Amino acid sequence: MSNDANMHGHAGVITHHEVHYDEHHVHHHKETFITKYVFSQDHKTIGKQFLITGIIWAIIGGLFSVLFRLQLGFPEQTFPILETFFGKWAKGGVIQPEFYYALVTIHGTVLVFFVLTAGLSGTFANLLIPLQIGARDMASPFLNMLSYWFFFIASVIMFSSLFVHTGPASGGWTSYPPLSALHQAGQGSKIGMDLWLVSMAMFIVSSLLGGLNYIATILNMRTKGMSMTRMPLTMWAILFTAILGVLSFPVLLSGAILLLFDRNLGTSFYLSDIYVAGQILPNEGGSAILFQHLFWFFGHPEVYIILLPAMGMVSEILSVNSRKPIFGYMAMVGSLFAICILAFLVWAHHMFVTGLNPFLGAFFVLLTLLIAVPSAIKVFNWLTTLWRGNIRFTPATLFAIGFVSLFISGGLTGLFLGNSTIDIHLHDTKFVVAHFHIVMGVASMFGMFAGIYQWFPKMFGRFLNHTLGYIHFWVTMVGAYLIFWPMHYEGLAGVPRRYLDLRDWHSFNKFDDLNKMITVVSIIVFAVQLMFVFNFFYSIFKGRKVRTQNPWGSNTLEWTTPINPGHGNWPGEIPEVHRWAYDYAKDGREFIPQAEPVGANESKDH
Amino acid sequence: MSSTATAQQTKWWNGGRSPFNLEYGKLMMWYFLMSDAFTFGAFLISYGTIRFSQNFWPDPNVVFNAFPGTGHTNLPLAFVSLMTFILIASSVTMVLAVHEGHRSNRAGVMKWMLWTILGGIAFLSCQAWEWHHLITGEHGVFVDGKIELASQTMGGNPWGRHVDPAVVQQALTVSSHETLVHLAHEYPKEGTTVALDALEKMPNDQLTGIINLEHAHIREKGPIAFGGYFFGITGFHGFHVFSGVIINIIMLTMTAKGVFDRRGHYLMIEKAGLYWHFVDLVWVFVFLCFYLV
Amino acid sequence: MEHQAIASEVTFHHHVPGSENVRRIIKTFWLLSIITIIELGMGFTIYFIHKNPDFSHGLVLGIKGAIVILSLAKAFYIVSIFMHLGDEIRNMIMTIVVPLMLFIWFIAAFLWDGNSYKNLRNNYDKHFQERTTEKKGGH
Repeated sequence: MSNDANMHGHAGVITHHEVHYDEHHVHHHKETFITKYVFSQDHKTIGKQFLITGIIWAIIGGLFSVLFRLQLGFPEQTFPILETFFGKWAKGGVIQPEFYYALVTIHGTVLVFFVLTAGLSGTFANLLIPLQIGARDMASPFLNMLSYWFFFIASVIMFSSLFVHTGPASGGWTSYPPLSALHQAGQGSKIGMDLWLVSMAMFIVSSLLGGLNYIATILNMRTKGMSMTRMPLTMWAILFTAILGVLSFPVLLSGAILLLFDRNLGTSFYLSDIYVAGQILPNEGGSAILFQHLFWFFGHPEVYIILLPAMGMVSEILSVNSRKPIFGYMAMVGSLFAICILAFLVWAHHMFVTGLNPFLGAFFVLLTLLIAVPSAIKVFNWLTTLWRGNIRFTPATLFAIGFVSLFISGGLTGLFLGNSTIDIHLHDTKFVVAHFHIVMGVASMFGMFAGIYQWFPKMFGRFLNHTLGYIHFWVTMVGAYLIFWPMHYEGLAGVPRRYLDLRDWHSFNKFDDLNKMITVVSIIVFAVQLMFVFNFFYSIFKGRKVRTQNPWGSNTLEWTTPINPGHGNWPGEIPEVHRWAYDYAKDGREFIPQAEPVGANESKDH
Repeated sequence: MSSTATAQQTKWWNGGRSPFNLEYGKLMMWYFLMSDAFTFGAFLISYGTIRFSQNFWPDPNVVFNAFPGTGHTNLPLAFVSLMTFILIASSVTMVLAVHEGHRSNRAGVMKWMLWTILGGIAFLSCQAWEWHHLITGEHGVFVDGKIELASQTMGGNPWGRHVDPAVVQQALTVSSHETLVHLAHEYPKEGTTVALDALEKMPNDQLTGIINLEHAHIREKGPIAFGGYFFGITGFHGFHVFSGVIINIIMLTMTAKGVFDRRGHYLMIEKAGLYWHFVDLVWVFVFLCFYLV
Repeated sequence: MEHQAIASEVTFHHHVPGSENVRRIIKTFWLLSIITIIELGMGFTIYFIHKNPDFSHGLVLGIKGAIVILSLAKAFYIVSIFMHLGDEIRNMIMTIVVPLMLFIWFIAAFLWDGNSYKNLRNNYDKHFQERTTEKKGGH
């Protein structure tokens, strides 16, 4: 706390109303390699650190999904190479049950937390907030740096848990007790589970440090003229994301602490009436449903923590690349706000079959279905933004349009699941897997890809290779639908999730070929993601150089900085803002940057 | 001064200034406390959920009725009242420190910070005593037809349902010698104070005659979660008090070194103050949930 | 007093005059103390009501409700006076108070489901009910 106060402490007396931002960063000494690339306090570097760590985790998480897809698609086959790599976990070339559950658990945890939370909002909040609102850096660059390093510690702990003798946590990314609470419940409930919980605690600290910074910066550090309603929608989305995180992660922390106590200190928060491994446990009076309540009070907002930044970036990218103002700016802000509020009120729709009071469940059904309203508003506004636009089909645009498509497909199945009566039939089937992968997993990945293609020039001063980008998009888009669309039918037919082998279930034999197809496609899609990773790292060093300050012809402030901005972002004064971010195709001009003063003869805003 | 006029005319949300008229550090502290409120809220709500799912819950007046140095005198809630007043008082001294900070009065800040730190340490000491008393204080509990000794721990609770006196009398006849010695020593009938080594030599039926069952309050085992939540939540609160004391000590040292005088403002004292008051605020609800209702 | 800028984003500083501020703090201290004493008194009342075997559950619930309201009053004074939230501008007050509204549904839904869990167990697990319900005339 004292450090950042030192950083920002002003020696001199400043008359208020006057903004002396340039005084903020005069104290920077010569930067060494360590301060510039490792313990950097520059928000742009921290953003890149989040992104690259996220990419590494995405490769691990994606690889894990390929491995368990091998088991699901080809359960009768042996893969001796797996035994070479994984030893006893794939004895005889067959993925063992413990291994399968470990793979699924770590895949979920890593993708949800490390890739789509830290990798997505960590990257773009850090990169874009100061650049788009017109600030030198985050409110507290020091805490911002800590935020990354706590994420790093969480990563190291999670990674080390992959190598412990009894394997990593295997109770699913939701880690429901009693499975997760009892060491004797299975291999994955031993030390791996403790490491998982500690890693999560570190991750929560990281998210809180980051989130508090994002909120304080967006609210407090906007440049002159950047009123809230002039902010690009990315900023609104990230603001609401941060609010969701700051208010929901602490609840997960509480739930995790109680779980740690149940595991190691003999308490009975979640445990009651248990007979395990030939032993009657003394624990009594706890409630396993309580953990689910705590987890989903966090878990549902978490879904929107993943989704909102993607929504914000998609809004911005669609507007810029269709060369049209965003349709219904205030409706977009309002629907983000509505989603943010509703996110906190609907958590128990994940728990309809737990024995939740059905009358209480009815309220959760109602509140859940209300989310359809703001979601539909957003979809209509994206489509109307594209409508008759002068669309530039860059990879970023394609991924943004892909996001909208996936959001519609996945959102509609959400209506099925939000109704408790239908959910009772569909719960824990492949239908649920298909729903949340499309609407939250793949859609948010698409938002992230769109963001990377759009802002890569700002990050590294070079372009990503667009040809590889187009291949990346089309294979991923077609692949995502080929993988997840059929799962809806499987789910409706009753195929359960979390089963590693369905061969004894003869009525499901008819899906054998379908499952093989899904596995093959997922391998192809994974390979194409590796191609993207190659494109990413290759382009950092060898990509086509950015020659102009504003390559996309965008209105927002980040394109008024130099091509490779230093720490502090603007060499001179921070530009003042005179208009909203979406003056495209106005008065016969293609675009009018936010920093340009309003002309005398200019027509009125929207 | 013109503050109020400025407040009405300023376009707070237009950028270039804080819409809350606060510098970012204090704003972040407020939001941090808000998120911390959700941590504590989740704990207390979990406690409430478990309590609502039980048919029986111990009466706090029965559990928390001891005061240091008064033996077994029944003083419900007396000690926790003392703890509450200590914390309120330390909150007052903290706000006075902040007040002196506004006036850049270094000596005043130091004086009140010192009192606040002392208040925090006093509170922590009280809590240590209370935990020690609960964990080590053994009570007779009716289990499987006989009386056993149990204390309030994370995994056990001796404050369950009352047991019929006749049943207790019957249970005493089959209980272990150690249990009877302990009960006779702790809860003797009036005028029968016997030394411990003498008690140990007595036969069981004679010991049974000495025990004052009115005082011994033999009960069944109570809900286990009570202890987990009590130690968990008061522990988490105590951890906050502890870290608050550490922060206050750092602030006191920095004040003494004149850091804030050089900086020209005592903003750090204000931020530490916010944290400290939050600790007091949480105690209001811990006090409410565990001791009062 | 000379205006010293703490940070450029702050528009104006407000100062409550010294002695008045101290008076207000001391007043709040007494207020909090008195409320606490009233709460304790109510706690004891519950204790004595419990001594009667056929006590009125409604009365106990009413007293507990009153204690909750008094605690909320205490919280209000601590936040408003000690933490000076009452002295901040309206925007600031709102940004703190509005998110706390989430607690309403948070508390209601959790407790509701906790209570429902109890009823379920009492219905379907008679052993649980018989083992944990206070017998008549227990105290």
